[in-house]
Order: sequence, then C-alpha cells, then structure tokens
Amino acid sequence: MLFRSALVAVRSAANFSARRLYASEAGSGGKLRLNFALPHQTILKDFEAIQVNIQSSEGDMGILADHVPTIAQLANGGVIEILAADNKPRKFFVEYLFILPHTAQSSSPVSGGFAIINPDSSLNINAVEAVAVEDLDAEAARKGADEASRKMNASGASEKDKAEARVEFELFEAVLAAAKV
Amino acid sequence: MSIVGRSSGALGQARGYATLKEIQMRLKSISNIAKITKSMKMIASTKVTKAQRNMETARAYGQSANSLLSHIEVVQKEAANPLVVAVSSDRGLCGGIHSSVSRAVKRYMANHQESSIAVIGQKARNQIQRDYRENIIMHFDQVTKVGPLWLEASMIADQILGSKAEGGADKLENGGTIVYNKFKSVISYEATPLAVHSAETIAAAPKLAAYEVDDAILKSYEEFTLANSLYWALAEGYASEMAAKRTAMENATKNAGEMITKLTLTYNRSRQAAITNELIDIITGASSLN
Repeated sequence: MLFRSALVAVRSAANFSARRLYASEAGSGGKLRLNFALPHQTILKDFEAIQVNIQSSEGDMGILADHVPTIAQLANGGVIEILAADNKPRKFFVEYLFILPHTAQSSSPVSGGFAIINPDSSLNINAVEAVAVEDLDAEAARKGADEASRKMNASGASEKDKAEARVEFELFEAVLAAAKV
Repeated sequence: MSIVGRSSGALGQARGYATLKEIQMRLKSISNIAKITKSMKMIASTKVTKAQRNMETARAYGQSANSLLSHIEVVQKEAANPLVVAVSSDRGLCGGIHSSVSRAVKRYMANHQESSIAVIGQKARNQIQRDYRENIIMHFDQVTKVGPLWLEASMIADQILGSKAEGGADKLENGGTIVYNKFKSVISYEATPLAVHSAETIAAAPKLAAYEVDDAILKSYEEFTLANSLYWALAEGYASEMAAKRTAMENATKNAGEMITKLTLTYNRSRQAAITNELIDIITGASSLN
C-alpha cells in the first residue's frame, strides 16, 4: 500500500517537473538507473530498479527514483536489496574484511563501499566485495564467528589483535544474520 | 681456428665469412632464442585475454567510482607541488610500456617542476630517476605480480595518504594525477592521466551542495576513490603490458626467423664453397699427375 502510493507520488512529480525543466537534468521517468560494480565483477550495469535498500554508516536507506542526491558510505556487513520490475529477489551482502594497518586504531569503520545517488537518478554502488545472499555459507560463518570470539577473549593477545578479532566477529555475525533472512 | 676466422674477416674479405662451425653455433643459439620467444609469446597471449577481461571490469568499476566527480564538476586544484603517480611494473621484455609512462611523467614535470612523484614499478623508476631523482618521494616494487589486485591498490593508497597520521602532510592536498598506460587495443596503448582529488577539493566543487553528505564521509570517499582509481590504472597498465609483451615477443620471433633464414643461406653457401675448393684441389692435384 505504502509502496504503491510512493510510486504514484514519484510519477506525478516527474510530470510536473518535465514541463518546467529545460535541457540538462533530464527526468528519470520514475526509475533508478543502477550501476553496481565490484573491482573484479560488474554485478549490474545500467539496470532499471524501482527501489534499492542499503545499509549505510548513517543508518538504513531506501532509495527511489528522484531521491535527493547523496553520498553514502556502505556499512561493513550490510545488505543491499534491489527491487525491480521483474520481482526477482536480489540481495547482496557487502563485506570488506581486510583491515589496513593505520585504520585499525582510527575511529571510523573500514569502508565496505560507497553508494552515490546523482541528480539524474543514476545510482552508483561501488563495493569491494559483495556476495549474493544465496551464496553465503552459514556453516563457515558460524565457524569463523566462534574462532573470532575465541581470539577476542584470548588472554595473551595484543590490543590490536583483539580489535581485529572484534571486527571479524561482528562481520561473521552479520553474515549469519543476512543468511537467515 | 675461430680467432683466425674472425681476424680474417676484419682484415677484409680475404677468407670471407666466419667458419662453418661458427655459423652452425650461431644458428643453434638463434633457434633456441626463437623457441623461447615463441613460448613467451604464447604465454603472453593467454594472459592478454584474461587481463583484458579484468581490465573491462576494472574500467567499469573505476568509471562508476569516479562518476560523482563529473556530476559535481570538480575542478582540478592548481598548486605548485601536486602529486604524480606513475603506474608501471618491474617486468622487462614488454616493448615501450615503461618509456611510455616515464616520457609522459617527464612531460608533466616540465610544466610542474615542483611536483612530487610516486613511482610504481622498478623499470619506470630507473627511467624517471635519471632526470628527477629528488622529486621521487616514494616507490613501490613487486606490484601486480599475479595481476592487478584491489588489495594492492588499497595498500598503495594507504601509503600515499597514510603519512598524515605520522604528522606529515597529506600528499594529496595539492591535487594529484595518476599516469598509466590506457589499453586501447591488443596492439595499441597510450599514456593517459587520471585526476585524483583531495577531500577539500571535492568539498569545494560547484555542484556538491546538491548532495547530502558530511565531511567525515567525504574523507572516506577520498581514500576509497584513490584506491579505486589506482586499481583501475593498475588493471589497464597490466593489460597494456601483457599486450605489448605479446607483440614484442612476436616481433622477436619473427626477427629470429629472418636471421635463421639468412644465416642458413650463408651456411649453405659456405659449405658449398668449401666443397668446391676441395674438388678444385683434388682435380688440380689429379690433373698435375697427368
């Protein structure tokens, strides 16, 4: 119900603005143009999506066409959900486990990627690593979580090792949560 | 015997070419070289197809990651000492790859004398060192040993930006350019610049106001984009290098083949001359008995 009214709102806004706008910022026509790319794989290119849900460092966001332009940092261990006209479920788990030497002590979390919405309703999502939720291995994640919590609580470990283990643990927990949903 | 052969060649064409044995040895070594260059060409060929596919993906990724910059119409900062990152590798036998990048960097330096240079790859470093040794502030070796990796690009980006944590200046604050070999086709590549910007420059872009973003995120975005741009440059450079290596090995094999043909003719002529001389000796000897 909410979804349908949101679509109607978007369509009427596009019609209204089409009459007043001149050339450059062409109307989106009610659809998001999504580019979802990884360094080693292009998942989606110029894909027409209706809505994209992402988990950013500032909280969860639901992005529709004509969303206000935004630069959002993807949360490590978040899930990206893409809703399209063909109703095929597309959910991806974003992770970036490698911890850079000098950021382990910094306050900002390691970036899993960025999502950028532009004024022309094109959405660019760049992630370092994203796995389709169907491909997540819950068993391996459970083992990893146990291993990481053991490292976290080990008595002889340095602060840096404990911090790394904590990040690993949270990530594996996030994988388990995503795999269940 | 070989010494006699060589000196008689230097003294003029008295004895003509080197001895048969010498030509044979040369023929053998050249055909070994031809075998080696042929197999190197085949290895490079298989690597080119894979490298090209990776490059297409990396290009799509890099362009997507950089697309914000054209939307906000960011302006490259004009400063006295920007940063130049030269993207090359440690490997030789790949044609003009390294000189392509070094020449582009030197052309840039001619207009920006105070720039700092970060060099990726030993070969390019050797060439740039000849003219701009003092400007090189950091260098990276053993990169792309198994092909381009985002991890490597991320670590290099971390090094370039990381010194701020130790109280040094952020190397990107005066703007930067990555110079890499853009892959145009299997037989051509071109040294191309790619601009990289600091968070402050991005914040100062005319159309950024339309975007919702806070400053800490912009700093993260600066680091992420530098890593992405470096990865893109490494991937294109690697693909160009494999293609150039393939071409270089193909040319080497072709040249070796030509040398073998020429030498074989020379060898046969020498062999026939030797036989003719022997026949003349025998016949003269025989006829003098009559």
